[in-house]
Amino acid sequence: MAIRDSLKANLDVSLASSNVSVSSELPYEASGEPLYLKNMKFVYLDEDNISKTVLLNCLDNNDVIETETTVQVFLAVDAKTLPGDIDTIVANVINSRNSITNQVIRECEMTTETEADVLTYTFDYRFVTVT
Amino acid sequence: MSVINVSAGSEAVLHIAAANAVTANSAVTSLVVPQMQDITINNQVGVFRFKTLDSTAESAVTIPATNQLTLNCVVDQTAFFGTGTPSDDDAKENGLFGLSKNKTQVYFNAYLNGTDSGSVYIRGTGFIAGLSPTVNMDSPVWVTPVSLEISGDIEHDLVP
Repeated sequence: MAIRDSLKANLDVSLASSNVSVSSELPYEASGEPLYLKNMKFVYLDEDNISKTVLLNCLDNNDVIETETTVQVFLAVDAKTLPGDIDTIVANVINSRNSITNQVIRECEMTTETEADVLTYTFDYRFVTVT
Repeated sequence: MSVINVSAGSEAVLHIAAANAVTANSAVTSLVVPQMQDITINNQVGVFRFKTLDSTAESAVTIPATNQLTLNCVVDQTAFFGTGTPSDDDAKENGLFGLSKNKTQVYFNAYLNGTDSGSVYIRGTGFIAGLSPTVNMDSPVWVTPVSLEISGDIEHDLVP
């Protein structure tokens, strides 16, 4: 199961009674505008980006591999009228990193950007496993 | 010139057996140490130096060598703690940890360029020591140094 799917399953539950919804679509661009800007108050999860690097190089080629998976999540809201529960929403999105099990590292960094009257939250998740 | 290159993988190989030297010749009967990160064979020839009044430089004579094999490896549960199967050679049955704890004398073959016919290897006997498994969150798999304190001489030979 992709990490995106696990995150979405967790957000579906944790944001069920909030003022935002979780979209199952990817945040692609339609008419030159990303979907999360077109459909504000919808959380969009991008696909997993996976990178595998050698953590420990072994003489028998049976190397120990580190797998880093990053996922970006976007949420745009009206900057003039923020949802009343935006703090809870943000906290839930950040805490959804804890729903991904069997990871050495589970990080989430949030950044915001305001353009005109749209406030966009970007959540960068980073997960690391070692096999 | 013939460089010994191990970049193809499975070229630097270490077999350990408790029963006898013949058991160490086979990957099936011996303990093959997996996931070695590095391996070093030390043949430290001892030297006794002395000065004489009729010379401006020290003289030296050799004394018996200290031989040792050291390596670092990822801790593999089976190789480290053994198979636990009594019919296996004691090295396979007890693993590196058991061999060290029980102070079992072992026979080893350290292959320099694989185990195919004609490959060169160094053999001897000794005792497993120096286990020190460690792990941390930056490198979250157990790794351990291993030293094989060699008793007596080491020999080199070709795989028949």
